[in-house]
Amino acid sequence: MSRRESDVSDADLHAFLRQAITRRGFIRRGALGAGGLVLGNSLLAACGGGKEGAPAGGADSTAAAASSGKTLRISNWPLYIDKQTVPDFEKATGIKTEYTEDINDNGEFFAKIDEPLKRNQSIDRDIIVLTDWMAGRLINLGYVAPLDDSKFPNKANLVDNVKDVSFDPGRKYSVPWLSGMTGVGYNPKKTGRELTSINDIFDPKYKGQVTMLTEMRDTIGLVMLGLGKDPTKVTKADVAAACAKIKKARQSGQIRKFTGNDYAEDLAAGNIAIAFAWSGDIQGLAADNPDLKWIAPKEGAMLYSDNMLIPKTSDRQDLAMKWIDYVYDPKHSAQIVAGAPYLSAAKGTGAALAKIAPELASSPLVNPPDDLRARLHVFRALSDAEDTEFNRIFQDAIGA
Amino acid sequence: MAGTASGGARRNRLAPYLLVAPGILWLLVFFVAPTITLAQTSLTGAEGGWPAYHKALTSYGTHFFRSFRYALAATLLALAMGYPLAYFIAFRAGKLKNLLLGLVVLPFFTTFLVRTFAWKTILNDGGPAVWLLQRLHVLDAGGRLLDTTVAVIGGLTYNFLPFMILPIYVSLEKIDRRLVEAAEDLYSTPAAAFRKVVLPLSLPGVFAGSLLTFIPAAGDFINAQLLGSPNQQMIGTVIQNQFLEVRDYPLAASLSFVLMAVITLGVLAYARALGTEDLA
Repeated sequence: MSRRESDVSDADLHAFLRQAITRRGFIRRGALGAGGLVLGNSLLAACGGGKEGAPAGGADSTAAAASSGKTLRISNWPLYIDKQTVPDFEKATGIKTEYTEDINDNGEFFAKIDEPLKRNQSIDRDIIVLTDWMAGRLINLGYVAPLDDSKFPNKANLVDNVKDVSFDPGRKYSVPWLSGMTGVGYNPKKTGRELTSINDIFDPKYKGQVTMLTEMRDTIGLVMLGLGKDPTKVTKADVAAACAKIKKARQSGQIRKFTGNDYAEDLAAGNIAIAFAWSGDIQGLAADNPDLKWIAPKEGAMLYSDNMLIPKTSDRQDLAMKWIDYVYDPKHSAQIVAGAPYLSAAKGTGAALAKIAPELASSPLVNPPDDLRARLHVFRALSDAEDTEFNRIFQDAIGA
Repeated sequence: MAGTASGGARRNRLAPYLLVAPGILWLLVFFVAPTITLAQTSLTGAEGGWPAYHKALTSYGTHFFRSFRYALAATLLALAMGYPLAYFIAFRAGKLKNLLLGLVVLPFFTTFLVRTFAWKTILNDGGPAVWLLQRLHVLDAGGRLLDTTVAVIGGLTYNFLPFMILPIYVSLEKIDRRLVEAAEDLYSTPAAAFRKVVLPLSLPGVFAGSLLTFIPAAGDFINAQLLGSPNQQMIGTVIQNQFLEVRDYPLAASLSFVLMAVITLGVLAYARALGTEDLA
C-alpha cells in the first residue's frame, strides 16, 4: 500500500519535472504492482510461437553481431519490461545490450532527438519506443530506418489487426512493443451506480468530480466516441465539436482537472468519481482499492500502442533487428508481459503466458473478447500542421 | 621607474573591468543570448512576429490578469505574514535567531515540487484541512479546497514566503538600534518609532521581498497545475503548454516577452512609488 502511494507520487513528480504530462510512469508502476490487465491480441493464440526456429539464438548470426563488438542501445519507457529478458537476450545472442528507461513523454523525447536526426547525426540509440502518433511523425519526417524483414522472420507472429496501421501501412518501419487501452475509470461508491457510457462523465450529478486526460488524442478520442464520431477518421470539425463540449464542461466546473497519471491518485483518494483512465492504471489500483473499476464504454475505447523504431542514423541496425525478432518470439513476449502486463502484438503470447503465469493469462482483460476488440479505436495519425492546429483548439478547451 | 608606475596605473584602470568581466560574460551567455534567441523565436516562422504578439496580447487576457491577481494576493499575504516574523527574528528572537532563520530556510532542503505535492495531500477532499474546516462550518459539506483559487494562492504564498522574509530580515537587522533608542528618548511611542524609523528603513527589504515573491509567482505554473482546476490556470501554464504540447514556439516566446514587459513596467512603477529607484 505504502509502496503504491510512494510510487504514485514518484510518477507524478516525474510528470511535472518533465513539465509535460504522461501516463507511462504510473501505468508501468501500476502494472508491476498489480498485474491485472494484460496482454491480449491472442485471439489467434492458436498459432504457437517460434516455429520459424527462433533464429535469435542462432550461433551463425551471433558471430557477425558479436564480431562487430558493438553495444545495442535501446530506449524505452520505465517499467515496461521484465527483468530477465535483457540478460537472456545477451546470453542468447552475445550482443551486449544497454537498455535505458529514459522515455517518459513522447513530446519531450521528440524534442531531444529532433535536432540531431534533422542534421543526420547519431542519437546514440538503436531502438526507441514511441506511441503510434509520434512514431508516425518520425516516419513522416524520414527519421526512421526501414525494418529489414529478411532479419525478422518472427514478423509472421505479428497479429493481423496491427499489420496495417494508418501511420505505417505494412509495418515497414515500426512494430508494436506493447499496447494499452484508454476508457473510463470510476469509483462505484461515489457514482452510486454502474457506468456504461462515456457521456456519464458529463452527468451534472458528478459536477466537480470528474477528470479528463491532458493527452489530446485520448480525451478528444473518447469525447468523439461519445458524440458518435469515429476517431480513426478525425476531422477538424470533429475536434472543434468535441472541444466545444469539453470547454463548456470545463467552464461550468463539471471537470475538476485535466490530468496525466495523477488522476489515479485522485480516484484512489476519493476526490473524484469518474476519470478518463488507462486500463493498466485502474487494474493496478484495483489491487489496493477493489472499489475502482475500469470499463471500455459501450461507445468504444481508445487503443494506443508504443512502437519500436530504428533511428536512421543508427550504425547498428543489424543488432536492432536481432532484438526486434527476439521479442516477437511468443516465449519471449510472454516473459515480457509477465513482468509488464500489457497487450502484446505477438501471436501466441497468450498461450505462452498461460504456461509461465496462468493467473495472469486467465484475467478477463488478458484476452479481450471480440466485442471489446471491435470497440477499440486508434486516433488517426495527424500531419504536423494538423497536430498543431488540433492541439491549439484542445489547449484552449482545457483552459491552458 | 616611470614605466612601472604607468604600467601599474594602467593595470589599476583595467582592474575594475577585469573584475566585472566574469559577471558580464555570465550575463551575456546566460541572459542576453537566450533573450535574443527567444526574441528571434517570437519573430520567425509563418505565425511569428505581429500575429504571434497580437494573439499573445488579445487571447490570453484572462490568464494574464489571473496571474497578476494571484501573484499580488500571494505577495500581500506573504508580506502580512513575513514582516512580523522577520521583525520578531531581527529584534526579539535573542538566542533563537539562528534557529528561526534556519527554520525559514529549512523547506528549501526539499524541492519545490515535493512540497507542493505535500499540499495536495493536506488539501485532499478527505484530508485533515477539509475535515477541520467542515467541522468549523467554514466549508459546507460538499466543499473542497483542492483545485480551487484558495489552494493556488495558498500554494504560491507558501512557496515564496521565505523570499519575502529573508530580505526584510536583512534590512531590519541592519538598522542601528540607537536610532530607535533616540526616537524613544525623544518621547516617541513604540508605535511611532516603528512607523517613523523602523518601517522606512526596512522598505528596501520590503521592496526586494515583494519583487522576489511577485515576479516568480506571476510566472509560476506548478501551483496552478497541481493545486488548481482548469479554471485557475495561469500564464505560466499557457507558456509551458505552448512550448511543449502545442509547440507553437513563436506564440510561446511572444507570451514570455509580454509577461516580461508587463512585469518590468510594474516593477519600475513600484520602485517609483516606493522611492527606491536606485534599487531597481
